[in-house]
Amino acid sequence: MARGPILDDARLARWARQLLVPGFGEGAQERLASARVRAVGADGVTTPALVYLVQAGVGRLWIDDPEPVSPQDVSGGAGSWVYPPSAVGRPRVEVAVEGLARLSGFVAVEPYPTGGVPDATLVAAPSAAQALHAAEAARRAGIPHVVLEPDADGGAVVSIPPGAPCYACARSTSAGRPALPGVAALSALAAQELVQLITAPRSVAGRRLDLVRGVLTNRATARLAGCVCGGGAPQAP
Amino acid sequence: MRGELLAQRGRAVIAPRAVVDLRPYACPLTYVKTRIALERLADGERLELWLAAGEPVESVPRSAEEEGHRVLSVEPLAGRAAEFRVLIEKRAAAPGGLP
Amino acid sequence: MDLTSKSALVIGAGGLSGPALLVLAAGGVGRLVLVEDDVVETSNLNRQPLFAEADLGARKAAAAAHHLRALFPAVAVEARDARFDSANAVELSRAADVVVDGSDNFATKFLANDAALRARVPLVHGGVLRTTAQLLSVTPGGFGGCLRCLFEAPPPAGEVPSCSQAGILGPVAGFAGALMGAEALRLLAGERGAYEGRLYTFEARGGRSRLVLVRKRPGCAACVGMQPLAPSEAPACEANSSRSGGAP
Repeated sequence: MARGPILDDARLARWARQLLVPGFGEGAQERLASARVRAVGADGVTTPALVYLVQAGVGRLWIDDPEPVSPQDVSGGAGSWVYPPSAVGRPRVEVAVEGLARLSGFVAVEPYPTGGVPDATLVAAPSAAQALHAAEAARRAGIPHVVLEPDADGGAVVSIPPGAPCYACARSTSAGRPALPGVAALSALAAQELVQLITAPRSVAGRRLDLVRGVLTNRATARLAGCVCGGGAPQAP
Repeated sequence: MRGELLAQRGRAVIAPRAVVDLRPYACPLTYVKTRIALERLADGERLELWLAAGEPVESVPRSAEEEGHRVLSVEPLAGRAAEFRVLIEKRAAAPGGLP
Repeated sequence: MDLTSKSALVIGAGGLSGPALLVLAAGGVGRLVLVEDDVVETSNLNRQPLFAEADLGARKAAAAAHHLRALFPAVAVEARDARFDSANAVELSRAADVVVDGSDNFATKFLANDAALRARVPLVHGGVLRTTAQLLSVTPGGFGGCLRCLFEAPPPAGEVPSCSQAGILGPVAGFAGALMGAEALRLLAGERGAYEGRLYTFEARGGRSRLVLVRKRPGCAACVGMQPLAPSEAPACEANSSRSGGAP
């Protein structure tokens, strides 16, 4: 990671509250400020995570989503923290850049540059196949990544530091139900996990957090026998 | 000369490793700058802070103590009416921090 | 569930109440009343999703309402640029179907607890500090204890770091605040709260949480002797046990 800008008084003032958290100091903030984060998928459900990543001070947030803002993004179950109803039909990446950039001049929010290699990835893709593909790309690049699996007003967040069991080993096998407003909590949690993976790389082993009716359960992820992430032969999905 | 014993008015004192002027700042920036300055010191090294009267001098040294550091002295800043010099000794094995 | 006839009173519009408001609005609550008397400051912007850089220096109540209305035009948002205090607490609570308290000081938290109980309105309480969040919901005459049962009195000054000294991670506040909003939606829909009479504590580094029964404290000034609004459904076997919602 390239070294980010130094923490001048303006940045210290902006991030003062998190800098006061024991264990989250100058070094953590600098790692965050040097990080290029790719967000694969930016639907309404993902927007709380995007807001928190920007507010926390990642260096660069790359929005990777080819779809337009849909009616489900704004008034379907979860709503959105960034897309107003007037934005329906416009490209998500355009509206996301607009809405997120205004939160912080310290963060570069931009469309994902094709071929760009991030330092960390948030996977919130619309299909299981796309999620697996994006997670596998992050795994091969050796970067920490977090996968968001919404399910009604909860779902799961899978955290994958480099070397941990991969997403294919840890994912849900059932499809999530349509999102409900409380899913914003899961989205915020995904941002928290990603920030943790970026700022304290060796502190967290691979884990899966499931949120069901407002209560979280935590499971360490485990490698499935023969998975390519453990050195096994690649298999067809 | 930093870190060496200096004789001053008949008392031996250890010079502070860093001096931070916090007078222009308000909470929470006072706390943040203090914390970062302490982070950069090694165990046993000293930090000198210049603090305004009121909330800064009443709360910042206490916060440092709560983090496990030692407040060695709080004295009026020479020649100043409502400003203070605070000397803090860093304790690296401070409770509340991560190992 | 159609919540357009429902009204939520939200105390604050910051790190906890901000996400709670966004969840309530997305849930289609008809009316949101937010009470907030502060100004947007730079250190707010690490964690308060209703405010952007352009809002620095603005009154929080107005800025929050503006942002909510832009995202959720169907929701009636009433911004009260005022402190939630003993003069208005009960009146504001009575006018709502749920009270959501994301305030950052114990005096207000206790006031919200007492006022909601007196107004016979359910309350969702939340707090966040460093990497830990706590939630509790209180239903008048319902299962479990209230905030005063949990803490007999506010901690002595200086024992708990004031917000000005204490750190907060933005996404942790967001997680807690969104859960508060989701809990409020459950209560508005007439469902049993996930944290009713149970303190939910989440610690972000370990990713672990616990759900612990809050017993009604005999003689609690706020809630003892409260008649339930509807027959209580609390199973008797929970009265003397703790229940964990996550790995230890």
